[in-house]
Amino acid sequence: MQDNKGSGMKTDRSRRTFVLLLPFAAIGGMLATVASAAFRFLRPVVSASSEKWVDVAPVAGLSGNKPVARKIVADQVAGWARSLAEHSVYILPGKNNQVLSAVCPHEGCEVSWREDKNVFSCPCHDSDFAADGQRISGPARRGLDPLPSRVANGKLQVRYQSFVNNTQERIARG
Amino acid sequence: MSAAEKIDFGDLKLARPKPFAEVSDGGVTGWRCWVWTTTGIVLMLLVVQFITGLLLAFYYVPAADHAHTTVSFIEKVLPAGSWIRALHHHGSQWLALFLFLHLAELFWRGAYRTQIARWVAAVVLLALVMAAGATGYSLPWDVRAFFSTRVAEGIVNGLPLVGSGAREWLLGSSEISTLTLSRFFALHVLVTPLLILLFVGWQLFVRKSARPCAVAEDHFEDNPDSPGGQTGRLAGVVSTAKNTSRPRALVSNQLTRNLLMAAVVFLLLALYAHKYPAPLGPAAVNATADYVPRPGAQFVWLYQTLKYVPGALGSLVGVVLPGLVVLTLAVLPWLDRTPLKRITNEPRRNIGAAILSFLALFVVTMTVVSYASDRRDPRARQQLARQAAEEAAFRRERFVPTLLTEDNGATGPAAVASPAPSFSANNPPAAYTKLCTTCHGEHGEGARQGPLRFPPLLGVSEKPRRSVLDIIGILNDPTAYGLDPPMKSFATKLTDEEKREIANWVVTLKKTN
Repeated sequence: MQDNKGSGMKTDRSRRTFVLLLPFAAIGGMLATVASAAFRFLRPVVSASSEKWVDVAPVAGLSGNKPVARKIVADQVAGWARSLAEHSVYILPGKNNQVLSAVCPHEGCEVSWREDKNVFSCPCHDSDFAADGQRISGPARRGLDPLPSRVANGKLQVRYQSFVNNTQERIARG
Repeated sequence: MSAAEKIDFGDLKLARPKPFAEVSDGGVTGWRCWVWTTTGIVLMLLVVQFITGLLLAFYYVPAADHAHTTVSFIEKVLPAGSWIRALHHHGSQWLALFLFLHLAELFWRGAYRTQIARWVAAVVLLALVMAAGATGYSLPWDVRAFFSTRVAEGIVNGLPLVGSGAREWLLGSSEISTLTLSRFFALHVLVTPLLILLFVGWQLFVRKSARPCAVAEDHFEDNPDSPGGQTGRLAGVVSTAKNTSRPRALVSNQLTRNLLMAAVVFLLLALYAHKYPAPLGPAAVNATADYVPRPGAQFVWLYQTLKYVPGALGSLVGVVLPGLVVLTLAVLPWLDRTPLKRITNEPRRNIGAAILSFLALFVVTMTVVSYASDRRDPRARQQLARQAAEEAAFRRERFVPTLLTEDNGATGPAAVASPAPSFSANNPPAAYTKLCTTCHGEHGEGARQGPLRFPPLLGVSEKPRRSVLDIIGILNDPTAYGLDPPMKSFATKLTDEEKREIANWVVTLKKTN
């Protein structure tokens, strides 16, 4: 008699437990479904600089040892929008027409060429770079970043890239 | 001792937060308890609307030039975007339906008498949910949204005395414009949700639940010696008294019932939204005069009614009548007046029953009639089929990111970056003469080849989506602009420079009369 009662209580209890677990499972299921969709939905989109080569200058006109400043317009896709962003670059005719990004590898200001001192100088934190882009002094941890370039139809072309700032290694973004 | 027994769920039930008395009250078993779960379903649907709306707001831009692009991006590109938008779209219609059922159920329980605040809140909530649906319909800014805004504008304009003023207040300007979209956006994502939150919050957290059928079963279980415990059990309750082990109802807790029903409805909605994406057509700029607009499912009855009402009365029927119905339902608890009592003993019950049953019958009839007449009328059927095909075609189009420009159209930076050499209509660029003349004529006049007719390009820049940038886009990918073969892609056959030259020249071509 006593035994019967005990086991009866037990089944009843476990059934109650099960039934009470159901709503928690239901809420959990609903939340998990929406949360997983929300995670995928909100995950940042890769903002792709299009893999396009942009004309910088005709090769014929490039000579001498001084860096040549140029502006290029690169196409950038971010989600639903495409925008044309202007970037400053320097061509080094003395270094086989290598193209350097003017973005300072320290905090991302734009360096300018100082004719008087023969250096690239960053206006923000006074990093200086040699005429070939090598780091000379200041807080920057590496030299100016070269961009992929090529010559096609007599024109120097470049593919714009941005790099992770403030690292010793050069890591391209995107 | 099993692990489950160590967790005392009995205590958990007692410790249940008081604020949710709304979904946990009652204690009657039997089928009624399952009917009374509309509260839980409505709450779940509201939460789904808030979460999905919040997610959509991460990408949506409420401006006429970007709204449609951002919605297309959500729909076509973002992972789970289509499902989240479908949840929001269909969820709003399910919400209206279940709120009406909830209202009917409250009425059946006599809540207008015993739980006045709850009754009024439910009526107001239904009105707010309909308002949210009406304002949300315009936001995708596709052809469908544009015409629904048109119709709303017309209905408001027809109101006596205040019509033209109300129309301008609604539109934010004298015509439908990007300001209209901003207004609908603010109403949809700030004003209505705030009011809904206030009402629901008040219901859940502030107001003391009246518990009309409060024979709290849990209470009896825990105090089996209380008088209610001995006598208050209703039919259908097979409860466990102390020291006995009689079988009891599988689900005895109203909170559990609400949650289970909410979960079932959520599952159905999730599957439905997965199978049927929310409608999205071509952008509003592509609207043509022969478009046949149809409202969202929760407004079809109202739309159908307007067909039977002479023009001038339409606005009254469309705005004033629904307003009066809502008002009457909202003040139902106070309609217990002597003059009314002279007519009928139970004025509130009879008025409410008349309104609710008429409303249900009317809405169902009108909705059915509307769908039936669209199927029977061959012209409407053909046009609707055409529109459905257009939407399907749009859905298949690849998403093309919009070029953000500081200027508009033809003078965007792409055009400015390389100043176009001035070509005259008689002097097309060499690349055009080389590749385009066979079909479009030497000077853009079009051409015939046997049975095929190729479209002229004269005056093409006056059409929507035919700016210099668009024409470059067409040369790159004509299918993205809805153009069919034989127009083919020239993405690799022309240089960027040549495309720009051609586009700059084509927009200068004027129609000759």
